[in-house]
Amino acid sequence: MIELKNINKIYEVNEQHRVEALKNIDLTVKQGEVVVLKGASGSGKSTILSLIAGLSKPTSGEVVVDSKKISKLPDNFATIYRRENIGFIFQKYNLIPTLSVSDNILLPLVPLNLDTKELDTKLNSVLEMFNIAHKKDSIVKNLSGGEQQRVAIARANINEPKIIIADEPTANLDKELSLDFIEQVNGLKKSGKTIVIATHDPLFFNLDFVDREIGVDNGEINL
Amino acid sequence: MKQYINLYLLEFAINSILRKKSKNFFIVTIFTILTFLLTSVFFITNSIKYELNSTVESLPQIIVQKLKAGRHYDIEVDRLDSILGITGVTDGVARVWGYYYFKNLGVNFSVIGIDEYEEQYKDTLSKIVEKFDSSKYSEDSMVVGQGVKDVMERSYYNDYFNFIKPDGSLKKVKLGGVFDAQTSLESNDVIVLSKDMAREIFEIDENKATDLVIKVANPKEIPTVASKIRLMFPDTRVITKDDLKISYQNIFDYKSGIFLALFVVSLFTFFIVVYDKASGLSSEEKKEIGILKAVGWTIDDVLKEKFYEAFIISFIAYILGVGISLVYVYFFQAPLLQDIFVGYSQLKTTFELPFILDIQTLFLVFFLSVPIYIFATIIPAWRVATLEADEVMR
Repeated sequence: MIELKNINKIYEVNEQHRVEALKNIDLTVKQGEVVVLKGASGSGKSTILSLIAGLSKPTSGEVVVDSKKISKLPDNFATIYRRENIGFIFQKYNLIPTLSVSDNILLPLVPLNLDTKELDTKLNSVLEMFNIAHKKDSIVKNLSGGEQQRVAIARANINEPKIIIADEPTANLDKELSLDFIEQVNGLKKSGKTIVIATHDPLFFNLDFVDREIGVDNGEINL
Repeated sequence: MKQYINLYLLEFAINSILRKKSKNFFIVTIFTILTFLLTSVFFITNSIKYELNSTVESLPQIIVQKLKAGRHYDIEVDRLDSILGITGVTDGVARVWGYYYFKNLGVNFSVIGIDEYEEQYKDTLSKIVEKFDSSKYSEDSMVVGQGVKDVMERSYYNDYFNFIKPDGSLKKVKLGGVFDAQTSLESNDVIVLSKDMAREIFEIDENKATDLVIKVANPKEIPTVASKIRLMFPDTRVITKDDLKISYQNIFDYKSGIFLALFVVSLFTFFIVVYDKASGLSSEEKKEIGILKAVGWTIDDVLKEKFYEAFIISFIAYILGVGISLVYVYFFQAPLLQDIFVGYSQLKTTFELPFILDIQTLFLVFFLSVPIYIFATIIPAWRVATLEADEVMR
């Protein structure tokens, strides 16, 4: 279970300029739930995802995942938590463009020093699951947007995380590819993953498999 | 069982180097040049020092010169008899030698007069006496170093040479033989002929010599014997082997000191260039670190990967630099750089740099290059890696 308790997040742009990204946020996401955070650009959705993933820390308040206060974890422990629990699909995919599809997907496993057989099994599994096996040796920068997103989803799933976080996942996709992505999310929900998606894409609204839609506006939650 | 070295991390580092080919090629090139220069200087210095030490070892134990008004004058040969009476002195030779200035090419020859029946005070001279029949360096003949022969030939003196005596008359001397250029550092500009001829060329009286060379049985007694000679002949300058060693060393250290001072400046400049190139993480590189952290790489993982990258680059450059330097110094005999140490004279000493592979030098160059580059790479990466991944990616 993910719990955000009275979260405030302030970005210090410079000495004079501070941006209050989140104001007194309280949010709970149960295990296996699919939650969509709706809101305009700059409303604070991405900041919420970043806090859940342990990519940044709140200015005040607590982020608790499965009873673990991840907002209090030192950087290295937060990274290990992320590696073991979180699969993050970024808006611009955040792939390394000069690496191959396989190398990008395997990135989260590199520090684990697993044996080759185990790596191959995990790699082939996600390549098949997200229908990207035929491109496994291609260099990522040569792929289409849809293919890059499949690579990003495959990478987010390679470490079999409990929680999948997607930040504006369809922002760079056409309608067909967006629907394809939604289908994949549905598949992930069926496998028991907790999924939090930040989007302002109407295709995500009123979907059967989405448990809750939560509005975020100007750093605050509108239930 | 887990391997101690994460080979995937190593593979990622190698891929990362190959992905940034042009930047890394530039760094390897600069570093190779730097390592090559640094190693070459050390190799040349070591070889010349070795050669110099061998030369110094063959120097006379004590030299006695007569001084008048602070200047070096010819010394009476019979003073040798009194010196030979000092306890501990086993032998003495009155040397007749001098520098002959060859105006045509502006070079100085070292002219040494020898007597085949005397004990020679230098190995080089002993070798010449052994190698050549006495007729080759007496009876109007001389043997010369290869450098002297080359210079003479440039002025079309192929079989003989005309010395101009102090009174302006000429002394024609035949070329009896040439000793090889490899003999040692100081034999290249030497002309060896009989003492009588040397006296004639320099107009030195028969009962006088340029200086006296004294041999002492126990080297520990050299300072005592030297002070006794000073007391016996207050108008003399008594030079011991140790004094000469210091003087030789000072000349060499002076030259290498100037060179090293210049070198340190260029070294510093190189490091600034390389540091700038290595430490200036581009926005792509920063973002890449952010991505690695976001997908689960700890700060340690990022730094390990950067360490592998930096080590591979700098070690390749080090190996290349040392390898090229070995070929340059010992195969090609260090053209240009050697001149800085041995001078630019037309009669410069030509000699083979002896192969001296000093492990300390290799370690010194290694520690002056590889760890510095690794730090220059890791520190900026560490600065980025310790930021929040979210901040780095944004």
